[in-house]
Amino acid sequence: MATETHPETATACWSCGQGAESAHFCASCRKVQPAVPMDFFRFFGLERKLNLDLAALEKEFYRLSRKLHPDLYARASSEEQGWSLVKSSQLNDAYRALKDPVARTQYLLELEGVKLEEQSSAATLAARESGAEKKQVVPPELLEEVFELNMQLQELRMGKQMGEEDPEVITGLRAAKSKFEAMLEGITGELKILWNAWDAALDSEERTGVRDRLVALLNRRSYVRNLVRDVNDALEA
Amino acid sequence: MAYSDKVLDHYSHPRNVGSMDKNDPNVGTGMVGAPECGDVMKLQVKVDEATGIIADAKFKTFGCGSAIASSSLATEWLKGKTVDEALAIKNTDIVNELSLPPVKIHCSVLAEDAIKAAIGDYKKKQGAHKPAGETVAS
Repeated sequence: MATETHPETATACWSCGQGAESAHFCASCRKVQPAVPMDFFRFFGLERKLNLDLAALEKEFYRLSRKLHPDLYARASSEEQGWSLVKSSQLNDAYRALKDPVARTQYLLELEGVKLEEQSSAATLAARESGAEKKQVVPPELLEEVFELNMQLQELRMGKQMGEEDPEVITGLRAAKSKFEAMLEGITGELKILWNAWDAALDSEERTGVRDRLVALLNRRSYVRNLVRDVNDALEA
Repeated sequence: MAYSDKVLDHYSHPRNVGSMDKNDPNVGTGMVGAPECGDVMKLQVKVDEATGIIADAKFKTFGCGSAIASSSLATEWLKGKTVDEALAIKNTDIVNELSLPPVKIHCSVLAEDAIKAAIGDYKKKQGAHKPAGETVAS
């Protein structure tokens, strides 16, 4: 995995005064560098792109885990001990966020200013401040679709509750399960297409467009994921 | 999470569950959702043409207990109110009535959104039905 040189991190090493170049270790004296807050892509020396080489990421994670391990710094200065501790914890957070496709996409959107967990409340606040009508975050077509699917699922669940093990109801639930799972798979496919679009985007205008499509897709995904969860619950109940 | 007695009451005995004909010019339909929790809420009002008072309100919500209770309470409050009175209902009124904890405040916001969307839909229909100059002031 290529380590990029970032202007902010290419400062002089605190110990030997040479250009440290890497965000974690000095290229000359190899000493650990001060722990500073940095985004997870930068932590791994990666560009802010969504397609990434998972095998290389894992390898780099293990390499850095070993090199940053606090045990190695038992006899180092207290500053270095502290940095290795903070960097080890940053490393774990960064790896956890980047290795999972959905978590990675969510994290990138957060870096781009969109907190998926707070969309609706953010829209409420914005509307209150401006006095304008609140902009709904979910498009009506999606709500209609999700509403209909939930209605069908509820009917099947009630059928199961009433008619014990009515084979028709079980068949219906299984069909619903396959359908929802296929939808989730379809979304994963669409996600990859948008990853490519993000990675290929040339300017901020293009990136904003892709960002908004990613938000819409992940919102749809969260509804479909709930449907999958609910249909599985119904089948197991 | 511990729900208040009022939430539990609305959750176990939701009022006004159902739907009305969304093509009826006197029916306004609001469909809203919060992607963060995967809730979807449909709320409808039927306005009496002669009096301008909400004669009936129905809802159907897929979501947590607080979302169901918030929309159930909203339909109870809507009946007998004028359209403008309905628009004055604030999410904080719902929070207070149901003693919703801070993490569930967004459910009451969703209910307020649903009321506004339903009334907005009704006004749009009325505006489209009446000749220019007689549209309902918004």
